[in-house]
Amino acid sequence: MNRRRQLPQLLFFFALCPLIIQMGCANGQIYVPRSPGLRPTVAPLTATRAIGGYDSARDASLRLVIEGLDADQRGDASRALAKYQRAIRVDPTNPFAFLALSRHHLEGDSTDQASAFLDQARSLFETQGRLGPAVDVWGLGLRAGIDRARGRNARADALFLEARQLSPSIWGDERLSAAELR
Amino acid sequence: MAARKKTSAKAAGKKRPAKKKTARKAKPPRAPASLAARRAGLVVIALAFAGGVWSAGWLLELDRVVVSRFEGRRFSVPSRVYAAPIVIYPGADWQRLDLAGWLTRMGYREQNEAGPLAVGHYRWLPGRLRVHLRGFEHPQLPEPNRKVEFRLESGRVREMRDGKGAPVDVVSLEPEPISSFYGSDREQRDLVERANVPDHLVQAIYAVEDRRFEDHHGIDPVRIAGAMLANLRAGGIRQGGSTLTQQLVKNFFLTPERTLSRKATEAMMALMVEARYEKEQILEAYLNEIYMGRRGSTAIHGVGEAARFFFGKRVSDLEVDESALLAAVIASPNSLSPHRHPERAKERRDLVITLMANQDFISEKVAKRAKARPISTAAIALESGQDRYFLDALAKQLPEVYDENLLSVEGLRIYSTLDPTIQRAAVRSLTEGLDALEKRLGPVKVAEGEEVPVLQGCLMAMRPQTGEILALVGGRNYSTSQWNRCTMAHRQAGSAFKPVVYSAALSPQSGPLVTLSSRIEDEPLSIETPDGLWEPVNYDKKFRGPVTVREALERSLNVPAARIGQAVGIGEVVSMARRLGVTSDLPNVPSLALGTAEVSPLELAVVYSTFANGGLRPTPRSFIGLLDDRGVGQEQWPLAGSRRVLDPGTAYLTTSLLEGVVDRGTGAGIRARGLRGPIAGKTGTTDDEYDLWFVGFTPEIVAVVWVGYDEPREIGVPSSRGALPIWADFLAEISGSKVRGVFARPGGVERVEVDPESGARALAGCRQSAPEFFLEGTAPTETCPVGGRGGGGGFFRRLFGS
Repeated sequence: MNRRRQLPQLLFFFALCPLIIQMGCANGQIYVPRSPGLRPTVAPLTATRAIGGYDSARDASLRLVIEGLDADQRGDASRALAKYQRAIRVDPTNPFAFLALSRHHLEGDSTDQASAFLDQARSLFETQGRLGPAVDVWGLGLRAGIDRARGRNARADALFLEARQLSPSIWGDERLSAAELR
Repeated sequence: MAARKKTSAKAAGKKRPAKKKTARKAKPPRAPASLAARRAGLVVIALAFAGGVWSAGWLLELDRVVVSRFEGRRFSVPSRVYAAPIVIYPGADWQRLDLAGWLTRMGYREQNEAGPLAVGHYRWLPGRLRVHLRGFEHPQLPEPNRKVEFRLESGRVREMRDGKGAPVDVVSLEPEPISSFYGSDREQRDLVERANVPDHLVQAIYAVEDRRFEDHHGIDPVRIAGAMLANLRAGGIRQGGSTLTQQLVKNFFLTPERTLSRKATEAMMALMVEARYEKEQILEAYLNEIYMGRRGSTAIHGVGEAARFFFGKRVSDLEVDESALLAAVIASPNSLSPHRHPERAKERRDLVITLMANQDFISEKVAKRAKARPISTAAIALESGQDRYFLDALAKQLPEVYDENLLSVEGLRIYSTLDPTIQRAAVRSLTEGLDALEKRLGPVKVAEGEEVPVLQGCLMAMRPQTGEILALVGGRNYSTSQWNRCTMAHRQAGSAFKPVVYSAALSPQSGPLVTLSSRIEDEPLSIETPDGLWEPVNYDKKFRGPVTVREALERSLNVPAARIGQAVGIGEVVSMARRLGVTSDLPNVPSLALGTAEVSPLELAVVYSTFANGGLRPTPRSFIGLLDDRGVGQEQWPLAGSRRVLDPGTAYLTTSLLEGVVDRGTGAGIRARGLRGPIAGKTGTTDDEYDLWFVGFTPEIVAVVWVGYDEPREIGVPSSRGALPIWADFLAEISGSKVRGVFARPGGVERVEVDPESGARALAGCRQSAPEFFLEGTAPTETCPVGGRGGGGGFFRRLFGS
């Protein structure tokens, strides 16, 4: 009898499940447990996945960020920098452009700039109500990388641990590649 | 003469008697005539020698002049300043971005005839615009020529495709030249290298100006003889015999006067130039030097600049008919100007084409086709004098190696942060706003003999996330006053300074001392100062009793602001102002809380940018990089990150207060003008209405408007009627009626319902409530109703009253 009562609830749950997972992946706000017993990981919100989530100016800006990340991946640092700046010109409130700049400067050992742009990215994510694990995963790892470069190893270790728990595939090597943020 | 001869002979006899004796013996005495001839010969030789020495000196001097000019800096090229490129993308508002206006200003020409679009041309089709965009150099992102088709729908770009039909995500348009750092001669040229000049242009010039250029040595006797004959026949000077080298020499070294000595010097220098330099070098110098007409007060020199001026394209992209027209204009740039005298210009152009065909430079078929094309020139885009304020500000930010003297000759290409659309809106809003205000105020009363003062103003806009200066208009008319009121003037900020005081009191560093619902007494206040008692009053001279912090700022009440300033400490206010970006002197006096400090509009732009940017202070910047006259990168100023100077929570609370000013307070005129969306701002009116301010922002832009007289005097209206309308007009033009973005609440700030009267937390049962923001842990603990826990009875109490 009890099972019969639970059946509609179960059916409803299974029907909604793909939708919930889809929404979670789309906005990056839902933790997706990898396997029982492990800390939950998160599907990070990449620049590519962020397209379509705001407006046309943001989309154009994100496309420029992606072109910049591709340039960074090819080792064309000056073109990448130019693309990020152009992306900010199109949409000065695009947090991904500042995130990409932070990553770019960290790779170039310019930790002050990396830190400043990371602050800017975080501020924009926050004021746009987008902070959450899917975005924190970038911030934690980049902040850890900046600390590591500044010799603050204890704090870097702690932050990397958090970042790795959220996304071991990205932060396993303690480095964020342009392709990963793309 | 006789005495001289005698003396000479005597002297000679004294010095060399033996020789003279021998000579006398060897030769019979000469007849007087022969002696005279010999002496005359000696004189001639002496004169010839002296002439030779003088000529040698003259020639050496000419040579020195030629060499120093040819081997030094040949041309003074004013450094040109460019705006930031306009970026187009699917969804962009092409009308607001003024795409059609950009095409005109950049010299693009409409091509109605069928066939492939030439570079620098466009074609309107139903719902579509096809453009063959010119490539451009840029310190960060140069672009090649490319064809783009824009599909346009309801004022928006719906889709973009390249020449092969592939979708395009983003198109950057060539940056507009704003203005140049001219020298005293106001010459503009765009240097070209011979390799980039199409052969048909060189051939057209040869055909009409100097067909034997490749063969002669600077002067062309055949041409001179022909010209003389033609002039004799015509009975006056109708034809010149100058070669290209002579024309170059004349323009380079000499004055335009028509004298024999000048002609001789010209010929001699032409020979020297030819002897010293290759034909290619001479031709290149000619192509860059030749005078081609005027744009306003600026002289156009060289084919590079002329190609842009007449056809809006690079010289390498010229067609045969256009090359012929350029060559045609050389003879008389003013009377043959295709802009002013198209028929005359066409007649001369067709003559050049005929000459080109006659001299086998082009075929008859090509000549026929070229002649069939109408004269089609680009529109003349005159520089806006008002942009010079921005240039002056930019010159101060450039690295010290580029001083103003070098800027007028070095031919640098300076890429700025100026947004041409926003700058045009700023110029128009300020000019029209001041005109309207002056009209409303009526004539200014002045003493007899005193000059009538001109109401002045400044409008500048900054990107809060990057510090980029997007627009800057430092006065009403640059030609009459170059004083930049945005960057150089320091005026009392008045109430526009109050947000600094409030943020100091709201900041956790002060406790926080107050929250937005704290109640402050708006009652008479007396403060002892070294100069005596200071008793601030409100603008309307009224006192309201206890008011909330929010209400105090929204109504711009002076007494509560003075109390807050006293409570937080003027030293702390100064410290906060410094952190937010104020660099001017700040007096450590109680009245600082009411904005008695003199600051520049630029400083206030940085302060408000910091609020808009969540507490991160940007560094103002006006340029992003430089290229030299060959398009090679010299300097880059990449974007620098902003500095955290205020916690995000306090920045948000201050922004929320300033939103209230616009929604309900002294800035409500903004909403009354139909502007919707996230807008925050503050009015500022100083004592006696000497200075009127409105400083406001959206999530993407901060703008400052100041209005006043250079010699402070009463204006007669508050800022809500003086500066605010200009600001609102400006924002409406750049944003439309709906502003993009949102001021979202950051973490660490909570939204709590409070009773606006008591400031207590409003629970169910409280008669009225309104949302208010608090830093976490600072929301009021007292409740409305007192001791209430919400729940039962609240609905009925609200419905029927207590």
